[in-house]
Amino acid sequence: MANDDVALAVNNVTKRYDDFTAVEDLSLAVRRGRIFGLIGPNGAGKTTTIRMIVGITAPDVGNIELLGRPVNLESQNRIGYLPEERGLYKKMKVGEQLRFFGQLKNLAPRAADEAADRWLEKLKLADWKNKKTDELSKGMQQKIQFITAVMHEPDLLILDEPFSGLDPVNSELLKETVLELKAAGRTIIFSTHLMEQAEKLCDDICLMNRSRKVLAGSLREVKSGFGRNAVALRYEGETNGVLDDKELVASIKDAGDYMEALLAEGADSQELLRRLVASGARVTKFEEVEPSLHEIFITKVNETS
Amino acid sequence: MNKLLAVVKREYLEGVRTRSFLITTMLGPLLMLGISVLPVMVMSRIGGGTTRIAVVDQTNQMYERVRDHITRDNAEATANRRNERTTRGGVSGARYELEQVALANNSLEETKRNLSERVRRGELNAYVVIPPNVLENGKVEYYARNTSDVFTAERMRNRITSAVVEQRMSDAQIDQGRLAELQRRVEIDAIKVDGEGERRDSGSFWLAYIVGGVIYAMVLLYGNAVLSSVVEEKTTRVSEVLFSSIRPLPLLAGKLLGVSLVALTQVIVWVLVSVLLSLYGAGALVASGAEFTLPRIRPEVYVYLILFFLVGYFVYSTCYALVGSMVTTAQEGTGMAMPITFMFVIAFVLTTPVISNPNSSFSVLMSLIPFFSPIIMLLRIMTETPPFWQIALSLLIGFASIVGLMWIAARVYRTGMLMYGKRATIPEVMRWVRQP
Repeated sequence: MANDDVALAVNNVTKRYDDFTAVEDLSLAVRRGRIFGLIGPNGAGKTTTIRMIVGITAPDVGNIELLGRPVNLESQNRIGYLPEERGLYKKMKVGEQLRFFGQLKNLAPRAADEAADRWLEKLKLADWKNKKTDELSKGMQQKIQFITAVMHEPDLLILDEPFSGLDPVNSELLKETVLELKAAGRTIIFSTHLMEQAEKLCDDICLMNRSRKVLAGSLREVKSGFGRNAVALRYEGETNGVLDDKELVASIKDAGDYMEALLAEGADSQELLRRLVASGARVTKFEEVEPSLHEIFITKVNETS
Repeated sequence: MNKLLAVVKREYLEGVRTRSFLITTMLGPLLMLGISVLPVMVMSRIGGGTTRIAVVDQTNQMYERVRDHITRDNAEATANRRNERTTRGGVSGARYELEQVALANNSLEETKRNLSERVRRGELNAYVVIPPNVLENGKVEYYARNTSDVFTAERMRNRITSAVVEQRMSDAQIDQGRLAELQRRVEIDAIKVDGEGERRDSGSFWLAYIVGGVIYAMVLLYGNAVLSSVVEEKTTRVSEVLFSSIRPLPLLAGKLLGVSLVALTQVIVWVLVSVLLSLYGAGALVASGAEFTLPRIRPEVYVYLILFFLVGYFVYSTCYALVGSMVTTAQEGTGMAMPITFMFVIAFVLTTPVISNPNSSFSVLMSLIPFFSPIIMLLRIMTETPPFWQIALSLLIGFASIVGLMWIAARVYRTGMLMYGKRATIPEVMRWVRQP
């Protein structure tokens, strides 16, 4: 990985609060133009990591670099942040609110207004520009908050649980928007504990647990490196006890329409297929499946807790 | 800098747009109007009618003199209503009409019965019986429907007293003009002696109290606004986004300035309205020849007045910002902010020893402490102007404390935000301030 390919580098960062260590010796490399999933259970240190990146708090040890330069006041203007705890001024009108947040990211008032109009239009909120924020539904407020994170066209966009509280239609709208931003070359850090979301969106992931990095890499690497083989299987008739062979199949899980067979260590899926066919059963589905991120998450978190 | 201005602007616009700002800004002048105009209106309504009083003069010497006094009062009351120049103070717009009732052939008892009946019927407001021996024992009887109308009773008492005294003097053959001449009071001409020679500079130390009072009023009125403005982002959870864009110090400074500008706007509206209101009244006052001279003040003192006002206002309101940064809700903060106002009370208490001994080392020390300096140092400047270096040092300490308090508040705010949910204890705050 070439160094100028890295948008954000977190180097051996440790952060302590009194006698509690929130983040310990964490190193990350977030590649430019990709979606980086920061995943982990509650209290794993995700939010503290994000806060150090956006400059709310500073690391005790280590450093953080955005586009090759240490993060500072200047870099705050190049980062957009949608925190998990949403917060808008309730009594302010939507348009004024967006102008204010745009100005805080160093946009001129006029530029902020233009960006606000563009984004309100895009997220289908243009009619609400002159309404007070507390007249908006929760989902709308969340979209407004999203606009405050993206309106200044940041190089790095950090989204902490961006989909929570959104209905499917708005979820989809937001997802498309995020993918557009990615296509436009923006780097995105996506923090969540919803593994399906992470699996659909992320190119790279980092799994944190108990203040430490547990697993990192591209989604593909992580999955193939997880070293577990499962087969989605459906058949008719008798298998003659092939599936009970512990040499071959570690466990069987009912997955509704089909079943999922987890292969024993060292077993080959082709061997299983041969034996099944030989047993006289009629195999109607046989597909090698990767472990889901969800499974990897649960396994890794349990291993490291 | 742009970000700071954006915060100031937001804070200001939010402040002046609230309903409570509109209401207090409107109600303030109405209240002032009420306080200043209503009593006058009530008085002139009382005085609007004529108070009819019958006088039974058993001495047959007093009535003329009493009537002369009352006639002069009436002329004055008329002049007062037209806001014309008057010669005597203390006369409102009330008019009195006197009526002499002779005993004729009736007994005193019968006359009193008749008069009481007329009072009951409302033809008379009151009647006075001046007994023959009034010059000796000095007692008259006053009968009225409404004995609690102390104004009228007092007026009659004063005027009859004057009449009786005049009569006694005339009986003793004392020349009244000569007596007045002999009894003239002396006037004090206070001349201030300082490094620049002798100068008439009396009475200006009151300005220190006025400045102190204005700071106190502003802090009472707007301290809580500063506090709740600082708490606002915690309760709305906006702080996380804010701190990813702006440092806590410019944020807090911007909020403080914004709220202060809101306060300034309100005060300017009030001052303008009350100036307009009092222009009429003051014009009348000056036209009436009242002694109304501004104390003579050296020009640099005006500069000190403004500087120490700023120190005082910002030292105290920054304290409110500090309290706001420690608590999670505004209600919680109001209780914690109580001790701030105690400091003010102490400052006022300190004025007594300082005023009698403005250059003692105690006074010097107190005038350097930022919580007291706005009042104490001004007091010293007005009484025995201290050396310039002391004034400069006091101002320096004052402004430095504002920055220092702001800095502490910003630290406490940032650290407190990262672990919100509970109020910060003092040891925690101390630790947060030391943290990087």
